[in-house]
Amino acid sequence: MSASGSQRLSRRVGNVAFLSFCWAATALALTALAAILWSLISQGVGGLELAVFTESTPAPGSQGGLLNAILGSIMMCGLAMAAATFVGVLAGTWLSEYARDSAYGKVVRFINDVLLSAPSILVGLFIYGILVAPMKGFSGYAGAAALALIAAPVITRTTEDVLRLQPVSLREASVALGAPVWKTIWAVIWRSAQAGMLTGALLAFARISGETAPLLFTALNNQFLSLDLGGPTANLPVVIFQFALSAYDDWRRLAWTGALLIAAAVLGVTVLARILAREPARS
Amino acid sequence: MTAAVAVIGEGRPRQARGVVLDRAFEWLCFGAASLLLTALAGVVISLTIGGWPALAKFGPAFFFSAEWDPVAEVYGAAGAVTGTLVTSALALLFALPLALGVAIFLVELCPARLRRTIGTAVELLAGIPSIVYGMWGLFVFAPWFVKHIQLPIMMSVEPGSIWERLTAGVPNGAGILTASLILAIMILPFMAATLRELLLTVPSQVRESAYGLGSTTFEVVGKVSLPYIRTGAVGAVMLGLGRALGETMAVTFIIGNAHGLPTSIFASGSTIASTIANEFAEASGVLHTGSLMALGLVLFIITFIVLALARLLIGKQVHG
Amino acid sequence: MNIHASDPPETSVLSLPPEQVKIDIQGLDFFYGAKQALFGVQVGFARNAVTALIGPSGCGKSTLLRTLNRMYSLYPGQKAQGRVLLEGDDILSPRTNLSALRARIGMVFQKPTPFPMSIFDNVAYGVRLYETLSKPDMAARVEESLRRAALWDEVKDKLKDSGLGLSGGQQQRLCVARAIAVKPEIILLDEPASALDPISTARLEETISDLKGDYTVVIVTHNMGQAARLSDHTGFMYLGTLVEFGETDRVFTNPVTSRARDYITGRFG
Repeated sequence: MSASGSQRLSRRVGNVAFLSFCWAATALALTALAAILWSLISQGVGGLELAVFTESTPAPGSQGGLLNAILGSIMMCGLAMAAATFVGVLAGTWLSEYARDSAYGKVVRFINDVLLSAPSILVGLFIYGILVAPMKGFSGYAGAAALALIAAPVITRTTEDVLRLQPVSLREASVALGAPVWKTIWAVIWRSAQAGMLTGALLAFARISGETAPLLFTALNNQFLSLDLGGPTANLPVVIFQFALSAYDDWRRLAWTGALLIAAAVLGVTVLARILAREPARS
Repeated sequence: MTAAVAVIGEGRPRQARGVVLDRAFEWLCFGAASLLLTALAGVVISLTIGGWPALAKFGPAFFFSAEWDPVAEVYGAAGAVTGTLVTSALALLFALPLALGVAIFLVELCPARLRRTIGTAVELLAGIPSIVYGMWGLFVFAPWFVKHIQLPIMMSVEPGSIWERLTAGVPNGAGILTASLILAIMILPFMAATLRELLLTVPSQVRESAYGLGSTTFEVVGKVSLPYIRTGAVGAVMLGLGRALGETMAVTFIIGNAHGLPTSIFASGSTIASTIANEFAEASGVLHTGSLMALGLVLFIITFIVLALARLLIGKQVHG
Repeated sequence: MNIHASDPPETSVLSLPPEQVKIDIQGLDFFYGAKQALFGVQVGFARNAVTALIGPSGCGKSTLLRTLNRMYSLYPGQKAQGRVLLEGDDILSPRTNLSALRARIGMVFQKPTPFPMSIFDNVAYGVRLYETLSKPDMAARVEESLRRAALWDEVKDKLKDSGLGLSGGQQQRLCVARAIAVKPEIILLDEPASALDPISTARLEETISDLKGDYTVVIVTHNMGQAARLSDHTGFMYLGTLVEFGETDRVFTNPVTSRARDYITGRFG
């Protein structure tokens, strides 16, 4: 009687300890999020003035902004997204529509999963090896290529996943009208899956817009405003990296402001993607 | 006779437009898929070719020597590899229990009203760019860590004991342990999200029947849910490990960037990724570049093995 | 008289006069990979009449239907052997132009399959594959198709709305309209009412009987009342074999094979 009573007690104590740990773990994760966001806001908002968007990165000790970095990032991310969406959507379509059970399809799916989580710095090394070194120069195109190679597997994966969710009967209904398969995919399947595919693209965009490592030795940096992706191109992540580790207070302030901008953009896009993903598939 | 002719209905040969494009579209898709395969092969080949001068010069010693001296042109990977493995392992050690706690909280304990909000918050934590983690780690977390944790520990260890050696270092907050902690925060949300997905696959009848027998939440989770998702959970952990191994920016900010084998948990060190990030753009000479490429190859092989295992295990879980 | 004459026959398939036959199926076997699903089906379906296929689930009635427009060709593991002559041409021939074949054969599925586009575009989708119509001509074709499917009055004011916003029964009639807009000769219906409520089912049945006379209709149904109400001929299938085929009234009132008799009387109690 008393033995079973103490057993019951120890079970209850164990359970309470366990539950408390789960609460504490969640609280800790949320605290980390809050702490990071608070640092970004408290350190970054102060530097958020018009000059950030109208002037280029300054020499130490002088006034300036992040215009060249912001523009460079937008151009490279835009180009990368265009290329990655093209390749990713087609590759995901192939995996879902043409190669569901084929052996080669399984290999590609596995390789894509590896690429999806491969260290991004290795992608930078690869692009350096095939674009920067042969052409003897860092360039925005090389940066965009590196970002595209990081985004494409994400888009491939989400495209395949959403296309697989489309009912078989939808494909058959179009094919039964005599429509060619490509037309069926193009006009019916993609359209039906567009919300999910857009979510995937947004997540890929969120991922690459904060990527720094692959740009370090592809796009490098450029102190001046340049719209030419053929040469070294300024971009927010690398500017943040260099300025944050510098010894100059103005540069560090700009780095915090840049970090705030990037985090706001990435988190905004992520939230948007989540909202889209929750919308029912109806148009 | 008739079989040789295509079907023609009442004199109107009707075929949808663009049927001829079918083959072209399939090839286009096939090409895109193959491009991904080519890209991965390209990564391996270019790293091998690029790293070859160093591998040829140093031989197996490249992997076992911890000496990394750009001035003397002597390069060995052991320091960076050790740094990578140690920080990742420590990060996993810290992050795994917490990730499990968060996942279990979200599935078993969280009030339904808050589930979506907290779930999204955890996902946001996963979405923060790594460079932000790096800055936050270096400028906010490290000073706090020094003041409240590192110094008290260093003061309290007994001089001359093994603990003193393990905790030696400059109290500037940059080092192996802080890097591991930042890594842990970075992989926690990702692992928590994956574990949560897995926990949701436990059939509710199974859980409910365990509750029906009078089990506590602890017992249901420990004896029913976790064994049920065991294989997939190991896969999720491996995926988290894969991320930690290849993480660059956050680590580069805060690990202190010292070559050689790390000597204590507070000492500066380096990882493969941080070494490449720091030195590659300024590397001069075939040997330096080659050694960095060879480091990249080592990193690729380690992460490839981890990711392959992870996929294998998660795949098993999904298919039963 | 021989004592065996009173035993019911194993199978009983009515042969229609050749001039009535639109689709002539000869010795059709069907395989899902290694598993055979149809065994030597031999039957003719009449022109401009409704043929119903009934039988327990898994009997092969849907498989037979999906052979007629070569839908199975989408799936590499599935194959058909034998001959299916459409006005004399063997549609199973590898030379068959599938797009042209499917232009002649419309199909409506078990669950409504509206495309994710406007009601108008749903109907116009198939037409645009084959014809370039002027705006007014296309509008006329869409209206005509929707009228034939008895949907026009319900949707004429919201043609630009998404087809996904319609009720289940309306969606299914939209699918009928979409199929007939292409001006097919044959319409295949695969349990078209199984996902609908009784009222929607009744409306759909009206629509189908209105099509009779202009189209060769083949309908698969598990609802025997529906088969009896709609069809001119009925085929009863069991385990991949066409067991009994004949005029609908005759099959339902006086089935000759014991399998068909058990099935039909069992259902009607």
